[in-house]
Amino acid sequence: MELILNVQFKKGVLELCVLVLLNKQDCYGYELVQKISQKIDISEGSAYPLLRRLTKEGYFTTYLRESTEGPPRKYYKLTVEGRKYLEALLQEWKEFTRGVDQLIKEGVNDD
Amino acid sequence: MMTKEQFLKQLAKGLKRLPAEERQDILRDYQEHFMIGIEEGETEEGISASLGSPRQIAKELLATYHLEQVETTTTTGNILRAMYAVLGLGFLNLVFVLGPFIALIGVLVAGWVAGTAFIISPLLVITDAVVHPGTFQAFFLFFSIMLCGLGFFINIGMFFATKAAADGFIRYLKFNMKIVKGGHKNDDQYISCGFNDKGIST
Repeated sequence: MELILNVQFKKGVLELCVLVLLNKQDCYGYELVQKISQKIDISEGSAYPLLRRLTKEGYFTTYLRESTEGPPRKYYKLTVEGRKYLEALLQEWKEFTRGVDQLIKEGVNDD
Repeated sequence: MMTKEQFLKQLAKGLKRLPAEERQDILRDYQEHFMIGIEEGETEEGISASLGSPRQIAKELLATYHLEQVETTTTTGNILRAMYAVLGLGFLNLVFVLGPFIALIGVLVAGWVAGTAFIISPLLVITDAVVHPGTFQAFFLFFSIMLCGLGFFINIGMFFATKAAADGFIRYLKFNMKIVKGGHKNDDQYISCGFNDKGIST
């Protein structure tokens, strides 16, 4: 299904996706971008400005780890503040989708 | 279709105004992205196509950087640089950023000029009395001294108003940037978004 969605909305969703993925395990940038773009259509280049911003805001820390195939990769790790921020965002997201789902259901029933 | 070289070159060009260290750091992230992509068997052109326009990415990074600078130290130069960077994000901003900015500056300048004119009004009365000794009236002097006091209050008020206006304007810039930025793929305000049937798995 193709949806036209406000860019800002997508940015918020992208932020949430990144946080959720890092909650499970530390990832490098390429990995994050791939995992997200497999499920939703994003402009991949905008993930890096987002990662930089969230790192500067103290939600992530970064470290380099050697890889078997080539030069070391930059990994992102969720901080305690990052986890708190994720919880707040998730809460907001759940309330938001619950509300929208209800409205959709009511709308469909009325037809 | 852009090669890795072309993409990084354009991005570097767009980030020229950033400090070298910051720029290198950003370029390294995209270099890494290309390198891993190639290891995974993608082509340089394919990777740069899915990354989106390097010019737009640079604009977004610049705007974010300048807004950060404004937050750490609020100087006129910083505000102007941030405004310029946000303006770069799109034509619409010319109206929504420059318009309010000019109006705001107009009001502030008017306030400062009025306050300052009131403060120096006794000087004008004294100068007038010296130049035309015959026309001096004590009432003018008292009135101008009153205006002078009023002028001080106006300027103190203007000081806080200017500070508040600067803060408010920075917030407005950020809000504006949030609305305009993004949409690298088509450089549009809105882009289509396809959710698959799984939606967003959390």
